[in-house]
Amino acid sequence: MPSRFVLRALCGLALGYSTLASLPAHAADVAAGKEKAELCIGCHGEGGISQIENIPSLAGQPDQFIQWQLVFFRAGTRKNEQMQPIVEQINNDDIRNLGAYFASLTPPKATKPDDNLDLSTKGAQAAAGRRCASCHTDSYAGTKAVARIAGQREEYLFKALHDYKSGVRSGGGMAAMADVAYPLSEEEIVALAHYLAHL
Amino acid sequence: MKSVFHRSVFACAAILTIVGISQAGAQQKPLKKYESGTKEFWTHPPDDWFLGDEIEAQKGLAPPSGPPTGSSEAELATMMKKIKLPAGFKIEVYAPGVLAARQMAWGDKGTLFVGSFGLGNVYAIKENDGKKEVKTVLKGLNMPTGIAFRDGALYVIAVDKLIKYENAEANLDKLGDGKVVYDDMPSYAAHGWKYIAVDKDGAFYLPFGPPFNIGIPPTSVSQIRRVDPKTGNAEVVALGVRNSVGGDVDPRSGKYWFTENARDWMSDDIPSDKLNMVSKPGEHFGYPYCHQGDLPDPKFAMGHKCSEFTPPVLNLGAHVAPLGMKFYTGSQFPAEYKNSILIAEHGSWNRHKYQGARIVRVTVGPDGKNPKQDVFASGWLEGDQGYLGRPADIILDKDGSILVADDWAGAIYRISYKK
Repeated sequence: MPSRFVLRALCGLALGYSTLASLPAHAADVAAGKEKAELCIGCHGEGGISQIENIPSLAGQPDQFIQWQLVFFRAGTRKNEQMQPIVEQINNDDIRNLGAYFASLTPPKATKPDDNLDLSTKGAQAAAGRRCASCHTDSYAGTKAVARIAGQREEYLFKALHDYKSGVRSGGGMAAMADVAYPLSEEEIVALAHYLAHL
Repeated sequence: MKSVFHRSVFACAAILTIVGISQAGAQQKPLKKYESGTKEFWTHPPDDWFLGDEIEAQKGLAPPSGPPTGSSEAELATMMKKIKLPAGFKIEVYAPGVLAARQMAWGDKGTLFVGSFGLGNVYAIKENDGKKEVKTVLKGLNMPTGIAFRDGALYVIAVDKLIKYENAEANLDKLGDGKVVYDDMPSYAAHGWKYIAVDKDGAFYLPFGPPFNIGIPPTSVSQIRRVDPKTGNAEVVALGVRNSVGGDVDPRSGKYWFTENARDWMSDDIPSDKLNMVSKPGEHFGYPYCHQGDLPDPKFAMGHKCSEFTPPVLNLGAHVAPLGMKFYTGSQFPAEYKNSILIAEHGSWNRHKYQGARIVRVTVGPDGKNPKQDVFASGWLEGDQGYLGRPADIILDKDGSILVADDWAGAIYRISYKK
């Protein structure tokens, strides 16, 4: 396991400081973002809450996380057949507006009661052992360029962790998630996905 | 004398690192052995490489991430007013929307090619009806920070592949997959991003950073190689180099000079980043044993003295992060600028109060004697830990002005001089 500081250094690229985002000239337009998000809701759901397997909910994701993923899709560093034609239709302003819009939405809540508390306990242990909170924050709500993972769809978390583990996705900048997910066991992935989805 | 760098050196390298040595260095525990000949080693280096090299005071510092879509034209216009330059100099935006812009190279027909960091893009910038048109000509590459242009071909270095795109300027719409002309390089991402400096023979100087902050580097890294892109032959020209992402060939002597980022996690104020010169092939510049020419590493000096190694030409300052550099060979700037070195400093992350994020000018003799450093362009820092922009590379334009790439704001600037 990388030490805590390395995780910090790795995820720091994502956690980072954006002075410009606070300048008035940079102000994103939530209403314009909502309009543009018509492109997204067919898959990602009304209000950014996905009802479709393997499609993540976007509601309440951090602004910068949404923006980075769109930039990565557009650049081809993150590849997805469904996203490709979408990102070809959006410019930098759209990306800023979409980030602001999805960040403004109420995040998904785990609706069902947890049907497997033992598995969640294992997941919580795995999350502590792998230091997930050092980037994703103690509430797993994410921050800056780091994703909200609390309340995300379970099978999507499972898929995402597998994508990182196998190198299909590398994460931002310094590949923090690829490094973290690589040594995860199948049991840990199952438990983490269950635990986080039920937070 | 040329020593061809053999693949076998890389494959046979057995890596030694030291575990569990206290800062006091009282008792040495047994050495631990790793095999670097496996792919696994390079895709996922041993976790314990990363252990225990920070001090308490530096904990919690982390590299910042810039705005994903760069700065808007309105933000750039505001920023330009804040940049300080010597009298007579002027800065303006050359091209916005060049996200994560790193090394620049000119095509023969006037196309400006620009590499990028994590985005994986290579851009071509051309003048179209008086406006700069920024076109993404390559996508999805692995940290293509370093680029060069030679004999009509664009070369891109993407961590472990040097890729050649023939007749590039005529094929900007369809550069294709190119041809890999050199790949004897490890694939690990950390400090795996590179820079290309071309000498008069058309050979490329390529830096190989160690895949960690501090440690005993595998034998195939912590060095600078001179690679012939025509044959793939390579020689090691410098050893004991940490993370170098900038260099240039001295027009006066033909010697290779390079910037080097020193280790992190020691303190806000040591060790200093460096400007180095290679006097003869094979010189050792001290890493990991000695930093800034006079500071033995608290853990990794292991009895070595700084006098064993080639000292820097100049210590540039701690955590200023010098990247791209160029000898000024133009004639637009005042005469005293001729052959001085302009260095793009990317700025700190492992420091409580950031410094750097500016361009410095170093005047120095061809022998490395009498170095003197002045701030040339500054104003990209905001507050203790904030950036408006981060200079990453410099290139001369035909008229003697310089262009500056900024990978935070995602823009190229022009700095020119008028009496």
